[in-house]
Amino acid sequence: MTKHTLVKIKALTKIFDVSKPFLNRLIEREKKQFLRAVDDVSINIVEGETFALVGESGSGKSTVAKMVVGLLEPSKGEILIDGIDLNDKNKPDELYKIRSQIQMIFQDPFASLNPRWRVEKIIAEPIVSYKLEKTTKAISARVGELLSLVGLDPSDGRKFPHEFSGGQRQRICIARALASKPKFIVCDEPTSALDVSVQAQILNLMSDLQDEFGLTFLFISHDLSVVRHMANRIGVLYLGRLVEVSNSKLLFDNPKHPYTRMLLDAIPDLEMSGKARNAIEGEIPNPINPPSGCTFHPRCPFANKRCYSEIPMPIKRNGAIVTCHGIEEGRIDYLK
Amino acid sequence: MISRIIENFQRAKKSDFLYSFAHSPVAIISFFVAFILILSAVIAPLIAPHNPFDPATLNLMNGFSAPMKPNEFTSEVFLLGTDDQGRDVFSTILYGMRISLFVGFAAVSFAMVLGVSLGLIAGYVGGWVDAVIMRIADIQLTFPGILVAMLIFGIAKGFTPIDQRDEMAIWVLIIAIGLSEWVQFARVVRGATLVEKNKEYVQAARLNGRRSGGIMLSHILPNVLGPVLVIATISLALAIIAEATLSFLGVGAPPTQPSLGTLIRIGQGYLFSGEWWILLFPSLTLLMLALSVNLLGDWLRDVLNPKLR
Amino acid sequence: MSEKILDVKNLSVEIPTRHGILKPVDGLSFSIKKGEILGVVGESGAGKSMAGNAVIGLLDRPAHVCGGEIWLNGRRIDNLSQEQYRKVRGKEIGMVFQDPLTSLNPLLPIGEQLTETILEHLDVSKKEALDRAVAILEEVSIPAASMRIGSYPHQFSGGMRQRVVIALALAVEPSLIIADEPTTALDVSVQAQIISVLKKLCAERGTAIMLITHDMGVIAESADRMAVMYSGQIAEIGKTRDLIKNPKHPYSIGLMGSIPAIKGDVNRLVQIPGSMPRLSDIPKGCSFHPRCNKVFEPCYTKRASLSKVGNSKVACWLYENSKGANE
Repeated sequence: MTKHTLVKIKALTKIFDVSKPFLNRLIEREKKQFLRAVDDVSINIVEGETFALVGESGSGKSTVAKMVVGLLEPSKGEILIDGIDLNDKNKPDELYKIRSQIQMIFQDPFASLNPRWRVEKIIAEPIVSYKLEKTTKAISARVGELLSLVGLDPSDGRKFPHEFSGGQRQRICIARALASKPKFIVCDEPTSALDVSVQAQILNLMSDLQDEFGLTFLFISHDLSVVRHMANRIGVLYLGRLVEVSNSKLLFDNPKHPYTRMLLDAIPDLEMSGKARNAIEGEIPNPINPPSGCTFHPRCPFANKRCYSEIPMPIKRNGAIVTCHGIEEGRIDYLK
Repeated sequence: MISRIIENFQRAKKSDFLYSFAHSPVAIISFFVAFILILSAVIAPLIAPHNPFDPATLNLMNGFSAPMKPNEFTSEVFLLGTDDQGRDVFSTILYGMRISLFVGFAAVSFAMVLGVSLGLIAGYVGGWVDAVIMRIADIQLTFPGILVAMLIFGIAKGFTPIDQRDEMAIWVLIIAIGLSEWVQFARVVRGATLVEKNKEYVQAARLNGRRSGGIMLSHILPNVLGPVLVIATISLALAIIAEATLSFLGVGAPPTQPSLGTLIRIGQGYLFSGEWWILLFPSLTLLMLALSVNLLGDWLRDVLNPKLR
Repeated sequence: MSEKILDVKNLSVEIPTRHGILKPVDGLSFSIKKGEILGVVGESGAGKSMAGNAVIGLLDRPAHVCGGEIWLNGRRIDNLSQEQYRKVRGKEIGMVFQDPLTSLNPLLPIGEQLTETILEHLDVSKKEALDRAVAILEEVSIPAASMRIGSYPHQFSGGMRQRVVIALALAVEPSLIIADEPTTALDVSVQAQIISVLKKLCAERGTAIMLITHDMGVIAESADRMAVMYSGQIAEIGKTRDLIKNPKHPYSIGLMGSIPAIKGDVNRLVQIPGSMPRLSDIPKGCSFHPRCNKVFEPCYTKRASLSKVGNSKVACWLYENSKGANE
């Protein structure tokens, strides 16, 4: 039984204009400057699955998240959720219907809740905005139900956000995200700001809720060990481009792209097997002036002349999609 | 319903705000002084011995009586003396404060509504709307407040027929002073809006289909009001003084409804001829009023400043 | 037998507030030997940063040390005056904090910040100070150090800035470094570089390091011994390897279990119910007892002291055996 593809992202690109103001450019004789935050990203997510997008800072993962939920307009490319194009302005009714199906859980549990609103009002906002319940009583009941679902007490609705700890606030965010009965939730580093034991609680909660409601997650993170735990499939982003996409087990057992391998090598060894970490060379380059050709080439031990000049295209290899000249040419032996 | 009120009361009792208040002598004294002054102005008709605005009760022979000394002609005693037209200074101060306070509160309210709205819009919408609003604000600031007020006053005078001039004077005063003060509200609110706009709870609201207007009013406004309160209090003191200044210069409150400023103007003329009370008491009142409101505003600013906590 | 550089005995820090007296650090005892790295691990609210600040002498008022002793290089320092403490702070204790942007003065070139510190604490000439500054920058692997000595902090990347901070901390050869979340603000790939720089330099100089962090991975990589803090107290302290592979305190067990693993089967993460108690609400007896799955009678009323269990020390009634005490 093939599952239905809920989310289709095609050739998503976002270019920011970061030029100095017109007058400055005129006087200083500078050209316009552009930042390619996201470059030609294509992802398909099947209903009920968790797709993780992994990358370091500057990789563009937050920008992808914002475009997928409709907070930011893409420069190029399409986003189709349940067959409906998010950026098609000609079909406002369809758009309105689909918007309640898409929700987001944010990274900062302190900034994602309005400090002046009571918790019940915060959670009720989607219900009120999408007119999902009619009477105050019904709304109140639903809010209480949601609070219990995330492990809080219905009476907590009367409190203000600052009365809760980071982990509890994140639960409130999850309750708010569930309020409009969504099919698809984008989680932007939901546990990065939390302590390890609290993270465990929240991740377990998210898994349980996913099973109960058949939710589809796009999970954004920089932490590969968390991602291994939560994701069915993983996409690795470097400077806005997807360098490798494969299913979770395969990525960890047999990473192919040199950047993926570098990332995995950088994970600290909690098994205490005594294996020394290979220090990664260099740092992420400035995205306004990225290196030519394959943007990873300055840090890549396998770079050749073609890598300096030609941008690699995605190819299929052993169950994964990789974007690398070296692998295409068979130069890199990734089968351990 | 009752349980909600009790809940809020208990929350207020525990709050740090009331605690700081109870422990700050300056705040308590200022509040007390301001409260007494404002209260006496409000109930002036009940406590003033005379009504200084009713020409029928005035007796020119009462003029220039010294405080607490029986008048040489009529043997009436006036608490703080009388002015050149026989008006009891004490009563006139009470009634005059009404004008000062009314104009002050009204002007600040006007400035606040105008400034906060423009600041919210400028900060949230950004782009050329922001640029236009802020340039208007900048231009406004280059003119000294008093001159702007006088200009508006002069223009308004030209438009109104003579018999309505006195009534119009108060309203023109309010608009004039309000227009000179809205900019600080706008600037502060714009800055705070720019900060709040990028926070994730605003993004969440947008995600949930809220529109800009709703987001500005229900999400951002409550979070930017803190500094507004401080500015409002200090602006009130400034507005009271501005009104007094304009009245002193003769372009404010009409002579039939003298405010504190008018009294000071009158008193200033007689200072060196010996009738010192006509100048002293209104000036002291103005000083106490403006100072207590100002100090309250300062205390508020410190209490609400998150960095000092 | 290496000598002890830092010896903290029963340290307590309290903060008087209008709601009562809060105790973010309550009876902390540990020591660090020459050349050793002690990792102090704990979640938010455990009191590890407070403990670090107490050792440096930089507690924000009204927090203050209310009990215990801090000995540095055989000399008691917790009872020094502000001025004396300042001298000790610069010369014998170096600090590496989380945010390199705020640790460095944005208006001064890094060379000047280095030479200023060197001249303040060492009796050398200006030229010699400059040479030392360049030398230490080279040691932390800043490329073209002699040329970059005049650069400003904002001209460096995040990882480089943190290296400069490490150079600044080590410039006057302190005997102890307190590093409070030195890699938290950095990318994963840079974290490894910074940790290795820190380790290398301290091994060469025999500097002791108190490494405070919530990141277990960093500890696993670099610390010789580690201490797990909970609610202002040490729950367990011992060799890093022992603690990670074989934790004994129920909190440590829960903590290790909740870390998602990079190898092995993907199982449901172990979760410890509840969260770290607020300072105003610390439970009586063992502060962990409301969340503990092995709680029994003494836990409710009395706090366990550190007892020796193998090579570690654990503060738990399950292991209480009156051995152990202060060393």
